[in-house]
Amino acid sequence: MSALQAARKTRSAIAMGLCYASAGVGLLALALILAALVWNGFSGLAPRVFTEMTPPPGAAGGLLNAMVGSLIMTFFGVLIGAPLGLFAGTYMAEYGRGSKLTMVVRFINDVLLSAPSIVIGLFVYEITVVPMGHFSAMAGAVSLALLVVPVVVRTTEDMLNLVPGSLREAATALGLPRSLVIRHVAYKAARAGLITGLLLAVARVSGETAPLLFTALNNQFWSVNLNAPMASLPVVIFQFALSPYKEWQTLAWVGALVITAAVLALSIAARVLGAQRTSQ
Amino acid sequence: MVDHTVRSFDADLETLDRHISEMGGIAEKMLSDAMDALATMNIELAQKVIETDLRMDALQRTVEDLAVRTIARRQPVAIDLRDTVGVIRISADLERIGDQAKNIAKRAAKIAGEARLPRAIVGLKSMHDMAANQLKDVLDAFAQRDPDAAKAVWRRDAELDALEDAVFRDLLTFMMEDPRNITFCTHLLFCAKNLERVGDHATNIAETVYYIVTAQNLPGEERPRGYDATALA
Amino acid sequence: MTQAMTQEAPASRDKLSEKMSVRNLDFYYGDHKALKSVNMKFYANQVTALIGPSGCGKSTLLRVLNRMYDLYPGQRAEGEVLLDGENILDPKLDLNALRARVGMVFQKPTPFPMSIYDNIAFGIRLYEKLGKADMDERVEKALRGAAIWEEVKDKLNASGLSLSGGQQQRLCIARTVAIQPEVILFDEPASALDPISTAKVEELIDELRRDYTIAIVTHNMQQAVRVSQYTAFMYLGEMAEFGETDQIFTAPKERRTQDYITGRFG
Repeated sequence: MSALQAARKTRSAIAMGLCYASAGVGLLALALILAALVWNGFSGLAPRVFTEMTPPPGAAGGLLNAMVGSLIMTFFGVLIGAPLGLFAGTYMAEYGRGSKLTMVVRFINDVLLSAPSIVIGLFVYEITVVPMGHFSAMAGAVSLALLVVPVVVRTTEDMLNLVPGSLREAATALGLPRSLVIRHVAYKAARAGLITGLLLAVARVSGETAPLLFTALNNQFWSVNLNAPMASLPVVIFQFALSPYKEWQTLAWVGALVITAAVLALSIAARVLGAQRTSQ
Repeated sequence: MVDHTVRSFDADLETLDRHISEMGGIAEKMLSDAMDALATMNIELAQKVIETDLRMDALQRTVEDLAVRTIARRQPVAIDLRDTVGVIRISADLERIGDQAKNIAKRAAKIAGEARLPRAIVGLKSMHDMAANQLKDVLDAFAQRDPDAAKAVWRRDAELDALEDAVFRDLLTFMMEDPRNITFCTHLLFCAKNLERVGDHATNIAETVYYIVTAQNLPGEERPRGYDATALA
Repeated sequence: MTQAMTQEAPASRDKLSEKMSVRNLDFYYGDHKALKSVNMKFYANQVTALIGPSGCGKSTLLRVLNRMYDLYPGQRAEGEVLLDGENILDPKLDLNALRARVGMVFQKPTPFPMSIYDNIAFGIRLYEKLGKADMDERVEKALRGAAIWEEVKDKLNASGLSLSGGQQQRLCIARTVAIQPEVILFDEPASALDPISTAKVEELIDELRRDYTIAIVTHNMQQAVRVSQYTAFMYLGEMAEFGETDQIFTAPKERRTQDYITGRFG
């Protein structure tokens, strides 16, 4: 009996040790990345980063046009992608639960979810940039939208599936038509989860580089024209980091720090909202 | 009857049944002992009957206690509820039968010194045989949960009533023949009343058994009744 | 004996009006026949309990009464269910109007994720346009009707989810009462509640009987005895016995009923 227990204890200790070690490796990697970002980026952080345009090589400047470009394209990407994802997810969870179409859509959505973003970029390049003859911010937004859709579809369906069927029945029992049940009860019950999904989608696309390289390209100057190439943080970081110029490299680190901080903030916001939902 | 899913419930009901059959056995024995004591003027036997009645009282309290606990613990319904409530009523009737036997025994002890009139006891003996038969039959009917047997007992009570009337008239005749018999015969009159009461309790039990099994009451009004001696007594 | 036990004898059957009447009802989950030619009645202002072992079809029957089964594909009912003489199985029937007349309270309390006030007002707004004062009055009346007003009157803006289980269930009853139905269906309304909350809900059901026709599915036989005037015992999709509650629980006519209510099922 005691020998058995001792053996169990040993095995348990080994398993625990491995778990801690793995978790430690993961945390360490994250800490190193953050440390490198802060170490290299913090020194370059200055007010002009947020007020000046990207500079030509050898000159001082900021990232304002890239930040605004990122915001604009992310905004339009979400504006196009989120409603599509919400409606599709609503169909799958509410109207077509268990139907063949739902299963097909879910499968395709999962493929889309894990598709390399560069493929999306190439696709949008083919259907927008080539026919129009030039790169544009709109094409960038479309490619981001295509990345938003699967994330939102997934979270919408999952969150609505988590709404207990009894709640829908209760609303139906009051004589509510289906559309009102979904709008007033199911969405309300899943609200925190839906917002979380949206924030995760924003976090995901705001760091994307590959699709924008083929669609929005880049722009050295201030531009808010959706029909023209537009700068964005990830692309600028990509370009500046690979350049031989010291100032550009520093700006790349600053941009990376800014974007990481923004995504981290969004993720934490998503977490907090999610926690609110579960504590209810 | 199929067993309960909760077996201890069956055990509870069986315990109640066992107590009833024990009370029934003691009541039968008390009654026949009391009659023997009366017939043979055996004071010792009469004393024994009187003491046994304490055991009956204790048993009745036990049955009531167990039944109440069964109701509290099992919340019986339908047949189980009728059974549990029926057992409480039957135990009360059996305890009263014990009281009747005790009363007869008390009188037996009291009149042991009186002048005796053996032929006056003959009628009482027939009454006792009939009452004892009724008691035995109704206890069997309970044990078998047999509503027809119970109904038969219930019908036969009229015969016991009729026999009591006959005994009543006989005893009156003996008293008129010789006033010295009056004390003795008056005591016997009360004994006859006691035996008639035993029959009534047996009838009550029969009604309870019928109710337990069928959930119906035997029609109280229609019970065939003989001439009511109590009107004169 | 039977008479003595009857504290509140149900009015004799011929004096009662039939609010709902189920005739030769068959019900299918796909190919599985869950109800077999069920016949029974729900009398106005009486509580009718549906009892029986799990899977006997009692909840299924309840869900036919407000066509809740329509939410799910592959479920269908055949036969007739009359509400005031009108067949509610008619495919042309307006389901939402039916559900406004036949309300339902579920096993688990299901407050909507909104304030206590809105939980009640929500349903009312569907059917009536009321001013603030009128709405306040209606909400209070509903909450009073469900015996929960005193407990929530100071926190009407708190979330319905912040209440205890028993309070949530009474909130759900208030929500159902608020839209003034004619029939209320209870699907094991107290099975998730503690004994005190259960007693409150049972007391409430007895009070609601004055104004509504009530059907209640319960696994708790003592509860059926306590709250109902009529009891239907269902077994394997059939109506095994239907009668006055006092009769069912003291002198059931059917052997299956007796075996079930006395706990003799294998």
